[in-house]
Amino acid sequence: MSLCVLEKVSKTYTTGDLVVYALRQVDLTIDPGEFVAVMGPSGSGKTTLMNILGCLDVPSSGRYALAGKDVTAMDDDELSRMRSEHIGFIFQSFHLLPYATALENVLLPTLYLERPVDGGKSRALELLSLVGLEDRAHFRPNQLSGGQQQRVAIARALMNDPELVLADEPTGALDTTTAAGIMRLLSSLNERGKTIVVVTHDPEVAAYARRVIRMRDGVPTEQPSGRTPRPLTAHPPVTP
Amino acid sequence: MRRFISSLHQALKAVRAFKLRAVFCIASVALGISAITVIVAATEGAYRRAYEMVDRFGPDAMLVLGGSAEARAIGRRDKTITVQDVEALRQAFPTAYLLVPMSSVREVNISYGNRRHQTRVTGTTEGYSRSWSWPVVDGRDLSEADVKGMRNVALIGAQVARELFANTDPIGKFFFVRNVAVRVVGVLEERGTTGAGHNLDDRIVMPITTAMKKLMNEKTYVNAVRIRFLDARNMGRYRQEVRAFLRQRHGLKPGQPDDFRLLSSEEIIRFLVALTGSLVIFIGITGVMALVVAGFVLANLFLLSVSERSGEIGIRRAVGARRRDILFQFLLEAIALTLVGGLLGFVLGVAAGPLLKLAADFPIYFSWKAFAAGLILSMLVGLIFGLQPARRAAAVHPIQAIRSG
Repeated sequence: MSLCVLEKVSKTYTTGDLVVYALRQVDLTIDPGEFVAVMGPSGSGKTTLMNILGCLDVPSSGRYALAGKDVTAMDDDELSRMRSEHIGFIFQSFHLLPYATALENVLLPTLYLERPVDGGKSRALELLSLVGLEDRAHFRPNQLSGGQQQRVAIARALMNDPELVLADEPTGALDTTTAAGIMRLLSSLNERGKTIVVVTHDPEVAAYARRVIRMRDGVPTEQPSGRTPRPLTAHPPVTP
Repeated sequence: MRRFISSLHQALKAVRAFKLRAVFCIASVALGISAITVIVAATEGAYRRAYEMVDRFGPDAMLVLGGSAEARAIGRRDKTITVQDVEALRQAFPTAYLLVPMSSVREVNISYGNRRHQTRVTGTTEGYSRSWSWPVVDGRDLSEADVKGMRNVALIGAQVARELFANTDPIGKFFFVRNVAVRVVGVLEERGTTGAGHNLDDRIVMPITTAMKKLMNEKTYVNAVRIRFLDARNMGRYRQEVRAFLRQRHGLKPGQPDDFRLLSSEEIIRFLVALTGSLVIFIGITGVMALVVAGFVLANLFLLSVSERSGEIGIRRAVGARRRDILFQFLLEAIALTLVGGLLGFVLGVAAGPLLKLAADFPIYFSWKAFAAGLILSMLVGLIFGLQPARRAAAVHPIQAIRSG
């Protein structure tokens, strides 16, 4: 079963009498285990696509199903629950709580779970060691470098074991060396089976993905990634 | 519930994290609450004192004082109640089970052997100790025969007993009141000092007949009459009746002011409440203003905090926080701060209370009521003024918040 299914999804914004299409009749399927890069110039609709994939926004028309659940008609609380249970976010500017330690930041998603889980702390520590920060658990964000902060954010994104990890320009605030480290980490997560969608305008970043979707005027066009020539046999072709 | 507790936990964490905001909020709330605490304590103190005084005065008692309020103010003779008035009152009010005339002289020289003292002499009748619920603890009370026979006998207060007789038994001993030899027949129970600072035990009580003739050189007038009525519930009516009766006897025309004053427990309470009221109003306005200002300080700091922390709100929403999780968190932050402010304010109030007592001899009584009022008010400030910023925080759209951060 596909993880994300978008059917004729449109998103419009109305300013005065003018209706602007951010997404136009998008059909898109993402299967479990994929590593997808969404590229495109600003205003192309890539961020809107990510917001809809991440249940931060709902389509104006069309239908979106995540993990078999139709998100289209959900209210705000239900969307919150979908995010809590199915999605891990990674942002350009990390968005760690400045007054909480790395460990507390990783634990943040557990606070809003409908059903509490045991052993959250030991899982958080495992995740911190997975991203190579086991000795930084009690550091605050301002005591960590940019790359380290983004690793904490990745650990946080994995905390509730989501099916989908969404990364919005995850390396945008980092230098090339650090950025490469972060992308290698995301790749290794993907190799372990995590589904990852990266939104970026950077071809170097997109090159880590096995599938690249280019957005232009709210319409995606598919093309294989340049640098990682992996066959796309596992994935059905997607028509825009 | 679990989510509420975790919201509380997050709120407390944030409270600790944003220290400057916390300091301002707590300080401003504390100032207001300390004023409120003092008010509640002062009001309670005043009521306690009033009821204490009423209790001592007697809820069924009335005091008729000679001289009008106006005449007293300009220092005119305040003797208008005659011995005949007293008898007439006794005839006219059968419900008055005790009716005791009183005349006092202050700073009368008394002596026993080589011991000397100055005290207050009250001339009265046999009902005196009963009318004031003031028992004779040693010896006997004044009798009707003492009064009728104009005998040279006296009840003495505990202070006088100490001054003149030290450790010896005063009963039956003769001492001098001015140049009159008087025999001690009883000692009154120790009463202590009044709120105004009078030592009640520094007095001697003699038959009014003896005192008027031999100490005051007075035939007609008494200072005051103390009346106790059978039914304390009808004091308002008795008061009107006594007033009308005395006005008629004194030939006062409508429009003329009373040439006497009536004092009952009602007046005592009214007087004390009025005294307290002015202070309560003053501190009350100050306190409420301080609290409102504190509320605005809080609201502004929180609004600032909400825009400053939109990134935090965004990420919380992104990882699954619902709108009300955010609302609760910010509301709890506000209430936590104001509660700490309230506690601090109570401590400040308790510390400031004795100063007020020192400055104005004001009865102040701190109880759980002052504490509860402080806490509840401070919580309300947090709730009311924290609501708007918290709602704004809850309304922050996660997408915009994440983008802007």
